Amino acid sequence: MGSRNSDATTGPLAVKILVAGGFGVGKTTMVGAVSEVAPLRTEEYLTEASVGVDDTGGLAEKTTTTVALDFGRITVNPELVVYLFGTPGQERFWFMWNDLVNGALGAVVLVDTRRLDVSFASIDFFESRGIPFVVGVNCFHGRCDRTEQEVRDALDLDPGVPLLMGDVRRSEAGRDLLVALIDLLMARSVAVREPAG
Amino acid sequence: MNHWTDSLESDGEEEDSLVRPYTITRGRTAPQRDDLTLITVVTTVEPEEGRPAGRRLEPEHRAIVEQCREPAAVAEIAAELDLPVSVTKILIGDLVEFGAVTTRPPLADGRSGGLNVEILQAVRDGLQKL
Repeated sequence: MGSRNSDATTGPLAVKILVAGGFGVGKTTMVGAVSEVAPLRTEEYLTEASVGVDDTGGLAEKTTTTVALDFGRITVNPELVVYLFGTPGQERFWFMWNDLVNGALGAVVLVDTRRLDVSFASIDFFESRGIPFVVGVNCFHGRCDRTEQEVRDALDLDPGVPLLMGDVRRSEAGRDLLVALIDLLMARSVAVREPAG
Repeated sequence: MNHWTDSLESDGEEEDSLVRPYTITRGRTAPQRDDLTLITVVTTVEPEEGRPAGRRLEPEHRAIVEQCREPAAVAEIAAELDLPVSVTKILIGDLVEFGAVTTRPPLADGRSGGLNVEILQAVRDGLQKL
């Protein structure tokens, strides 16, 4: 308050990490567990051209939908803030929400072992877009009924994709997933700088 | 107090929820600037002495100027105003034009693999403290 420092007008640098997965896998729970503020909610209007439904004579009907997302923030230092965006439930809408996807450092995809299929679409999406991601197996109450290898096989996961098991209600579990993502990004950055000969 | 929407409230009926936010933007549905993102950080420029500030500002504009005395991302501003992101961007675009706020674009994404390692290390250090 009352700062006279005129250089401080540009604000901190912001980076963004997505927390994805199907409905009910614990996205907002994880965002809330690691965020320094209670998760905030914001919404956006997305317009979808309805195509592929028979032949509409070249006419594409447009549908506008309101999509809501929850997000949180982690202030790393006065110059650097991490925003965590839990992706909205309706996948077909956020997949085309360019502002949400563009510029993300990477993503955490949460899966629930009882309903692995609800997270397939998110994994496919990040793979096809070339967006780095890690997988978090949300073990509710600390119990997992499947082994890491069973989950990897069921998800047909590339061996290079980190996978961690944990209860995302605990901030440590969310933190470990985010650190694993940053480690993956750092390894890639180094790999880009030192191309194999 | 005379507000520009006064003349629009002819029948007093509830506007459709998709329409109402755009009355705030005077009917504009697309931001003039396409460089604002969800995490573009907005910071209020404190007006110089003697310079009349905020003459053309609507209440929503004023709320943004007030909030961004502490820098805030576009998504945070939209959440605080309880307005859709696209509407919020239009209002922020106005304020940029008025010289009332400055913006800082986010870091480029990780798809090219060329992220700044120092920034990644700083993020990692910050996360470890959680």
